[in-house]
Amino acid sequence: MNKKWIALLLTGILALTVLAGCTGGSSQPTLNLYGWADNFDPKMIEKFEKENNVKVNYTYFANNEELLAKIKAGGANYDLIQPSDYMVATMVQQGLLEELNKDNIPNFKHLADKFKNPEYDPDNKHSVTYMSGVTGIAYNKKYIKEVPDSWEDLWNPAYKGKVLLLDDNREVIGMALKKAGKSNSSRDDAEINAAVNDLRKLVPNVLAFDTDSIKQKMIQEEAWIGTLWSGDAAFAAAENPDIAYVVPKEGSTIFSDNFAIPKGAKNKELAEKFINFMMDPQNSATNYEAIGYSNPIAAAKPHHSKEYNENPMINLTDEEMNRTEWLADVGDKIQLYDRLWTELKSGQ
Amino acid sequence: MNKRTFGLVAPVVLWLSLFLIIPMAAVVVVSFMQRDNLGNIIWNFNFDNYARFFDPLYLGIYWDTIWVSLISTVLCLLLSYPLAYYITTVSARAQKLWLIAITIPFWINFLIRTYAWVILLRTQGIVNSLLLDIGLIREPLQLLYTDGAVILGMVYTFIPYMVLPIYVALEQMDKRLLEAASDLGASRWKSFWHITLPQTKTGIMTGSVLVFVTTTGMYVISDILGGAKSQMLSNIIQNQFLGARDWPFGSALSVIFIISSMIIIGLFNRAMRSKYDASREAKA
Repeated sequence: MNKKWIALLLTGILALTVLAGCTGGSSQPTLNLYGWADNFDPKMIEKFEKENNVKVNYTYFANNEELLAKIKAGGANYDLIQPSDYMVATMVQQGLLEELNKDNIPNFKHLADKFKNPEYDPDNKHSVTYMSGVTGIAYNKKYIKEVPDSWEDLWNPAYKGKVLLLDDNREVIGMALKKAGKSNSSRDDAEINAAVNDLRKLVPNVLAFDTDSIKQKMIQEEAWIGTLWSGDAAFAAAENPDIAYVVPKEGSTIFSDNFAIPKGAKNKELAEKFINFMMDPQNSATNYEAIGYSNPIAAAKPHHSKEYNENPMINLTDEEMNRTEWLADVGDKIQLYDRLWTELKSGQ
Repeated sequence: MNKRTFGLVAPVVLWLSLFLIIPMAAVVVVSFMQRDNLGNIIWNFNFDNYARFFDPLYLGIYWDTIWVSLISTVLCLLLSYPLAYYITTVSARAQKLWLIAITIPFWINFLIRTYAWVILLRTQGIVNSLLLDIGLIREPLQLLYTDGAVILGMVYTFIPYMVLPIYVALEQMDKRLLEAASDLGASRWKSFWHITLPQTKTGIMTGSVLVFVTTTGMYVISDILGGAKSQMLSNIIQNQFLGARDWPFGSALSVIFIISSMIIIGLFNRAMRSKYDASREAKA
């Protein structure tokens, strides 16, 4: 055992750490898709790759703010992104999105009317709705005997250490605001402070804050109850039949994830081709069956299974939808949201 | 500097300025700026971001970070020293195998290793199932998403950084000193305390600084194993860049973080050196 050998060993470790970030190149055109985790059926991505002889490089972000930061730092590396409703508006305002060429997306006509011409992007100039859902309460019937109907149920002391919350300050503070009967995008300091003070009482119940793998924590029964997006809840319920879902009576947040193309994207046409492919009624039926979210393509309904068309987590009632509210940009109050969120999570 | 030395040094200088000096300078510059609601940087020089750090909220998180890192470093040291010591006592072949065993985890992606702990520790995980099966517990224990899980993850990840430098120091030690001590009637404990420990101080120091500074900068472990509940300073920095649209404050926190790491390294260096000198003087 000599020193040289050890030096080599240590150098090897360092080299491995550095090289971990490198990936090989390829001559095929590559569509760089930057989206939410588990947002596509991998089989559909494979099908698109085969049909067009391209490679799809699908990477994830955990929340809209992360997406915005990455796009501002150099969005041209991505060809296709998935901003949510209010983020589309913010990005358009900052000139970060290309206009879509609808001639390349003939399947746009299949989109349900209620998703066309949304408030945050009139005429769908820069975006097309990919999926929509609401934030509600998912719970495990094995452990939760009384059916929850209010956000208040998360505060039940019997659920200590068993509650999940989304790792997203707008979602969670918005939830507490809805619980108090206020708007989920309040700009009123007193209302926001009151909502966060209420959340402080919820913290002892919280098992974890999570967005990416919140479904797994429900499926594995690490948590009994938590705030989940409707599609994630449908996905979790398919894996673990004890999981049920409610939209609380106080109302909740509705969201949509959209396709959009960042300014300066290198493969704009390929990105539009991908959008069109995903909006094909047959393709979209296969895709949404796999990911569990509700399909915004009206023409796809006959292609779906009976279970899908009758699943209450996927097909929310009009009455449930009427209780929902979109998140709106809160301007400079985002600083207050962030500060209170940091306080809340660090237990101060 | 003659032409030849210049030719030899130039690539390193270029490398350092491209990947270290320029980005660092950018961080320092941005840390004195403001931002607008959309997160765009406003070029208006001020000290507000630094003043904001002294808010009890951020000072508290800073203190928590130091504390978690300190505990992790001490645990790493307590576990690594006996192991490194043991490795030096076995045959050369066995030493090689031990060192390979310690480095093998580095061949697997760090994130995957961290998620492996989730599978081990969760309520329906391997550890809980085992304990339930042998009847030690009736209800699964909440092992995951606790401060303990975060420290466990830290210690697990950074043990090799501690073992290797201590091993090198032990390996290089002059064994004749121990023979001399035993000839002169010193007990094994006494010769360890007066010879081995001071002789391996450089290894301990290098390992501790490596582990301490890296753990203070770690944010993935507290997210995955801590359930994003306990926040370290790096989580706050990440959030300023990726969540709060506040690059100037994130930059200011980064600058403070770099300076405090440098101070800690400097202090540690000095403490170790003076202690080492003192023990040498005492012997003389």
